Amino acid sequence: MMMHEISSVARARLTDLKSAVGYYLRHSLVGFAMEARRPGDILIYVKYWFLIWAKIFKFIGLLLLKKGPVGFVRELIHYPWILTTLRATQLLARLSHGRKGAYLESTGLVIYSIAVTLVQMLEEVIYEPERLLIEEDLVPPEIGRAMGLNVWLVEAMGILLPFLKHNAAEQYIDETENAGINPDACSFVKNAMGMIIKGHMPKGSAIVSSNMPCEAGMASYTFIQREYDVPIYRVDAPANFYDERAEKLFVEDLKGMITFLEKHTPGRMDWNRLKDICTSRNRMMELELELWDMMRTRPAPLASEAVWLSHLWHFYWFPGNPVGIRLYEKLVDLARKNLETKTPAVENESYRAILWNPPFPNFVDIFNIVERKYGLTLIMDSMTYNRHAFIDTSTPETMLRGLAQIILQGPMVRHVRGPVENYIDDIFRCYKQFDLDMVWIAGHLSCKSGQGASGILRERCRNENIPLLVLDYDLLDTRIVSQENMLRQVDHFMENVMKAPRLN
Amino acid sequence: MAPLSKAMKVFEELLESPQNHLVERAVETGRIPIGYSCSFVPEALLMADKLFPVRLRAPGLTGTEIADNYLSSFTCSYVRGLLEFAMDGRFDLLKGWVFVPSCAHMQRLYDNLEYLQKPDFNHILDVPRKVNPDTLVWMAEELQNMADKLANHFGVDMSDSSLRKAMRQCNDFVNVIQSIGELRKKPHPPISGTEFHQIVMVSLASPKDLILPYILDFKKELEQREVMKNYRARLMIVGGHLHDPEFIRVIESQECVVVADRFCTGTIPGFKSIELYDDSPYKIMAEHTFKKTLCPRMMEDFDRRFQTVIDTIEEYRVDGVVLEMLKFCDLWGVDSVSLVGALRKAGIPVLKLEREYRLSGEGQLRTRVQAFIESMGK
Repeated sequence: MMMHEISSVARARLTDLKSAVGYYLRHSLVGFAMEARRPGDILIYVKYWFLIWAKIFKFIGLLLLKKGPVGFVRELIHYPWILTTLRATQLLARLSHGRKGAYLESTGLVIYSIAVTLVQMLEEVIYEPERLLIEEDLVPPEIGRAMGLNVWLVEAMGILLPFLKHNAAEQYIDETENAGINPDACSFVKNAMGMIIKGHMPKGSAIVSSNMPCEAGMASYTFIQREYDVPIYRVDAPANFYDERAEKLFVEDLKGMITFLEKHTPGRMDWNRLKDICTSRNRMMELELELWDMMRTRPAPLASEAVWLSHLWHFYWFPGNPVGIRLYEKLVDLARKNLETKTPAVENESYRAILWNPPFPNFVDIFNIVERKYGLTLIMDSMTYNRHAFIDTSTPETMLRGLAQIILQGPMVRHVRGPVENYIDDIFRCYKQFDLDMVWIAGHLSCKSGQGASGILRERCRNENIPLLVLDYDLLDTRIVSQENMLRQVDHFMENVMKAPRLN
Repeated sequence: MAPLSKAMKVFEELLESPQNHLVERAVETGRIPIGYSCSFVPEALLMADKLFPVRLRAPGLTGTEIADNYLSSFTCSYVRGLLEFAMDGRFDLLKGWVFVPSCAHMQRLYDNLEYLQKPDFNHILDVPRKVNPDTLVWMAEELQNMADKLANHFGVDMSDSSLRKAMRQCNDFVNVIQSIGELRKKPHPPISGTEFHQIVMVSLASPKDLILPYILDFKKELEQREVMKNYRARLMIVGGHLHDPEFIRVIESQECVVVADRFCTGTIPGFKSIELYDDSPYKIMAEHTFKKTLCPRMMEDFDRRFQTVIDTIEEYRVDGVVLEMLKFCDLWGVDSVSLVGALRKAGIPVLKLEREYRLSGEGQLRTRVQAFIESMGK
């Protein structure tokens, strides 16, 4: 009896060990090297693997040097999630499966650019805390940066950390629920509040928040301000914003924000610097539009993270940053290269999809999986699909007006405001523009605005004969809907609605 | 407690339907009912000329099967209830609708109503989320736009004099309700929280001029009534929409009395008379609306909301606060983290209740209230 138990325990341990080794091999340099079909792809992968680690080691080395071992440990205790960022190359591995050539290079480039800018940001947080401005994610960071401030987006880690570790946000969600928040509130908000409760978020000299995109986010800043006990300015975007009157009100609000920041922070508005930032942002947008133009081709020359992750990270957090411009220049080159050689990003591209609502941070590799499984290619997403003019940099007034339009008419803000057409017509426009085959809705269960439009959307898609997958999930909490469940929803849709054969 | 008076029976009956017989009577005489769902819609503006406001309610709501299809089951049961009633034709007397995008749920209710029923008059009042000179001007313009739209659509007189007259009528009515509400400050009030809430709800759901005689009758009755003596605690209710007086009746069944109502359809500070001065009526109404409405949708108002609760506790000798909120309401749900914390820090006992629009789980509610009163040592 005893021997039988021992042997079954041993077998179980061996199975665990096997699966751990298997996981490591699949998501490591060795794993990729075994999987890759061309030596060139291995070289691309190895290059970015080394570049990312080099960036991380440089950051660690500098931190040790500047703060000493005690200071180093203190910073890690203060920001323990920094350790999660050490998984950056695992993310690279997860997103690189089955990719090759320019498409593989674009994946590496995007992740590397995130590593570079994240390190920049962490250095600002650690070495210049007095110039740190705490911002809500939809307030234009261009203004704070033009004032010489370092901008920390409260919500950003809610996106980044689950990319790297799917359940990274759950400890923070639990913390906020224990503090008494309604459990059905958005996990993105709960994550930010939880990080503050646990003391894992940097504290700035002032806060700028807004009423965007939703009530939960807006209301959370009452709590955040009381926790931080620093001055706060709240920007108020009107519900009906497609007119000059609304823009004028919002521009006045942005001016109020500048006055506030000059009073409560060491920052001073430098209009020339704002002009430089806006010009660089315009350049980024110009390049992005060029990329979009190429993405309209069937099969697409690039896909997925090259489009959505590059935009999400660089336009929302680092607009106009040279790293972002260099990234987009390279992405455009890569896309052109594929286009000229008629090389599809996704081998066997069979279906082209748009993802509406923010992508799945806790299951970021889902598009890599469906690429290989069904030849399904993510072409565009709602967070990327901006439709606004370039910023007119001729005067301070025109720049503020340009920024106001970007915010008011930007993704999420325009989608949850005004009539439901703002949300739905955009999907149809995008569907036509990019010659798509289906619409995916990231059905974040706590997004009341999206939920409230779901019935109309279903009927409108049915009327237009557009295949629609509403993928129920929670933005950051895989305990609500697991990754397996999400994949099952995709499989049911692809098999029953699209009648799609599996490629692998 | 005195047996149910004649007036109270009338009130109960009037609250059974979303469009009571006083609404029917007014419509028969050519008046125009406008439904609205949020306290940021100034009632006085909808009282001009032949117009009269009707607060949108879904009394006796059972299921929301149709509404769930459109709004999903993750939006609050109030908006789902309203859409369900609209789809069932239960608001057929209403000639127009006014909504405020006070939250995503309300915005989507408007959208779905527009999509499914295309009402002849369906208006969104874009109320700012903070108050400063710029947003006051904006709000006044919003009110003027709405008034112009009403005048064009219904041919009603929305002139300054008509609006001033409506504001005076509104004040007269509010003063009567306030005078009844004042009685609740007494150590032994003659009126229960349930009864008072019934009065408030009928006054929101009926034409003011037609309901006023009943309320005045009731006020006279109150003067001769025996006061309440045997209660263990005085409670205040704080929160969002609360339409069903039965909710308060269940709370009061635990030997307590609800003496103050700081929620959307309550009187503190919702029923405040309008300060009339020599300026545009729209500006007056804009200022008044911001003053008398306390909602977490207003980004910079937490301190005022908190202070109002504290002042009310003192004024009405409140022992404990019941914070009620509808499930899926992010505004009150997220705000409650700060509010509960601040109240407890100030030494005030708080019971937080998440509930559905219609009264459900009575037994559980009783148990929680009873435990709450006991935890206060009462």
